[in-house]
Amino acid sequence: MTVILPADSAAPTVASRVRALFRGIGRFFRRAPLSAFWGCVAAAILAMAVTAPAIAPYPPLKSDFRAMQKPPSETHWFGTDQIGRDTLSRVMYGSRASLTVAIGAVLFGTTVGALWGLACGYFGGRFDMISQRIIEFLQSFPDLILAMAIAMALGGGLGTVIVAIAITRIPFGGRVIRSVVLSLKEMQYVEAARGLGASHQRLMFRHILPQCVAPYLILATTHLGVAIIIEASLGFLGVGIPPPNPTWGNMLADSLNAGLVPPWWLVLFPGLAITLTVLAFNLLGDGIRDMLDPRLRGSV
Amino acid sequence: MYSYIARRLVFGALTVIGVSIMVFVVMRILPGDPLVAIFGPEGMTKLTDEQRANYMKELGLSDPLWVQYFAWVKDIISGNFGRSFFRSESVAEMILRRGPLTAEIALLSVLLSWIVGIPVALVSALKPNTIADSAVRFVSILFLAVPGFWVGMLIVLGLLFWFGYRAPMAGASLFSDPIANLQLVIGPAIVLGLGQAAYIARMGRSSLLEVIREDYVRTARAKGLNNRLVIALHALPNALLPVITLSGVLLGLVLAGSIPVERAFGTPGLGYSMFIAVSERDVFVMQNLVFLYAVVFVFLNIVVDVTIALLDPRIRYQ
Repeated sequence: MTVILPADSAAPTVASRVRALFRGIGRFFRRAPLSAFWGCVAAAILAMAVTAPAIAPYPPLKSDFRAMQKPPSETHWFGTDQIGRDTLSRVMYGSRASLTVAIGAVLFGTTVGALWGLACGYFGGRFDMISQRIIEFLQSFPDLILAMAIAMALGGGLGTVIVAIAITRIPFGGRVIRSVVLSLKEMQYVEAARGLGASHQRLMFRHILPQCVAPYLILATTHLGVAIIIEASLGFLGVGIPPPNPTWGNMLADSLNAGLVPPWWLVLFPGLAITLTVLAFNLLGDGIRDMLDPRLRGSV
Repeated sequence: MYSYIARRLVFGALTVIGVSIMVFVVMRILPGDPLVAIFGPEGMTKLTDEQRANYMKELGLSDPLWVQYFAWVKDIISGNFGRSFFRSESVAEMILRRGPLTAEIALLSVLLSWIVGIPVALVSALKPNTIADSAVRFVSILFLAVPGFWVGMLIVLGLLFWFGYRAPMAGASLFSDPIANLQLVIGPAIVLGLGQAAYIARMGRSSLLEVIREDYVRTARAKGLNNRLVIALHALPNALLPVITLSGVLLGLVLAGSIPVERAFGTPGLGYSMFIAVSERDVFVMQNLVFLYAVVFVFLNIVVDVTIALLDPRIRYQ
C-alpha cells in the first residue's frame, strides 16, 4: 500500500522559496516599519563597506602633504588627519574592518556556542555539568577585558580580533540554545522519533536543530552591535587591527596623538559612524526578534 | 540564610580558582612564548639566544608551567601580585594608588544611573505609548549604541573648545584634595552612568509594566489607596528586584568600560594603567589586573545575589 502524494506538495521550487522570502520581507516592512527603515540603513552601511574601493574619494593610506590636518572642506568633506589622509575615505574603509570583525566574530562565536549548547542540552549529565562550569568561568570576565587579554596574548591582527571577540560571545549562544534544547527534548515529536529508533545524530540535527534557528538568528543580530563596540574599544586601546589600516577605533586613538587638543573632525566622524552602525543593527535586531518570537522579548 | 551565603561563597571561591587557571592559560600559554608577547615578534629576532635564556630564567619562565602557576598563586596570596616588567612599582602598589579612583568612578556612575534611570522608567511605564515614553525609549536605545569613550572624547574636546577647561592630569585622593578629585572623577562617571541609565530605564520600564498588572496592585487600588502610594509602596519595590540584579552586572561592566573611558579623559585610574599595560605588552601586570577585575566581578555577583535573597523571601526559602 503506497500513499500517493499530490503533485504540488513536492519539494518547494527555488521560485516559490524566493517568493516566500519576499513575502516575509514585505510583512516585516508592514509590521515594523521603523525596524525596516533601520534595516535599510544597515544594508546601506554594508553596501558602503563592500564598495569602499569604488566610492571612496581617495585611497585611505595616501597622505597629501599639502593638506595636513585641514578641517572639512569641499575637497575633503570630513577633513584630513595629521599626515594628510582623507578622513571620509578612512571612515568608509573603516566600516570594512568593523563589519568584518563583528560579523565574523558573531557568526563564529554564536555558532560554536549554539552547537555546544545543543550538545549540552541534548546529552545532559556530566558533560553538561562540566560545560556549564567552563561557561561560568568565561562569564566571570567582563567582555571587554577577556577580549583585551586574548587579543593581547595572540598579538594584533584581523584574525585574532575576530577570535578574541568570538570567545566572549560563546557563553551567550551556549546558554540560550541549551535552554531551548532542554525544553524541545521533552516534546512529543522528538519522543516519537526516538521511539522509531532515530540515532542521536538524527535527533539532534534533523529534529531539534531546525527549531533553534529562530533563537540563533535573534542572538546573532542582537550581538552584532555589542561586537562592533568591543572592536572599536580594542582599536582605541591599541590591541585591535594595527594601524595604518583604518578602523574606527584606531582612528579615534590616532586623533589623540595629533597633539594636546585633537582636531574635532578627527574625533566626530569615526564616532558617528560607530554610533549609526550600532544603532542600525540594534534596531534591526529588535525588529527581527519581535517578528520571529515575541515570547523572547527582552530575554536575549 | 547563612547556609545560602556560605554556599554562594564556596561556589565563588571555586569560580575564582577556575578563573585564575583561565587567566594563566590565556596570558602565559596562549602566546606560545611570553617573550614574544613582551618584545613583539620583531624585537624577538633581535635578541641573542643568551639574552633570551637570561630573560627566561630571570622571569622564572623556564620552570615547568605548573611551577609557574603556583608561583603566581603564591604571589597573589602574599598580596604583592608580582612586579611590572617595565616599572619599579609592584602591581599591588599600583592597585592601591590607582584603584580608589576607578572605584569612585564606578560607584558614582551606578548612583547616577539610578538617579536618572528610575524616574525615567517610572514616567515611561506609567504613561506607556505617549510621546514622552517614545522619546525616552529612543534616547535609551541611542545611549546603548553610543560608545562611552567617544562621548568622553567629545566632552573633553567641547570643554576645551568652549571653556578652555581641562581636568587636572595628576591623581588626587578624595580626602586630601576633594575638589581636584571630583574634577577627575565626574566626567567618566557621567559618561558611564548615562550608559548604564539606559539599561536601567529599559529594564525598569518592562519590569514595572509587568508588576502593575499583578493582582495585588489591583487589590491595593480597589481598596482605595492613592495611586502614588500604590506605585511607591506596592509596585516599585517588587519591580526594582530585577533592576538591582542588572545593576550589579552593570557595575562589573563599568569596570571594564572605564578602561577606554579613562583613556579618553586621561584619568589616572586603574583602567588607565590597564591601557598602559596593554600598550607596553606588559604580560605580568596584565595577568594580575585581568585576574583582579574578574575576582571583583565574581564578588559583585555574589553581593548582588545575597542582597536579592535578603530583599526577596521567595528566593531565600527556595
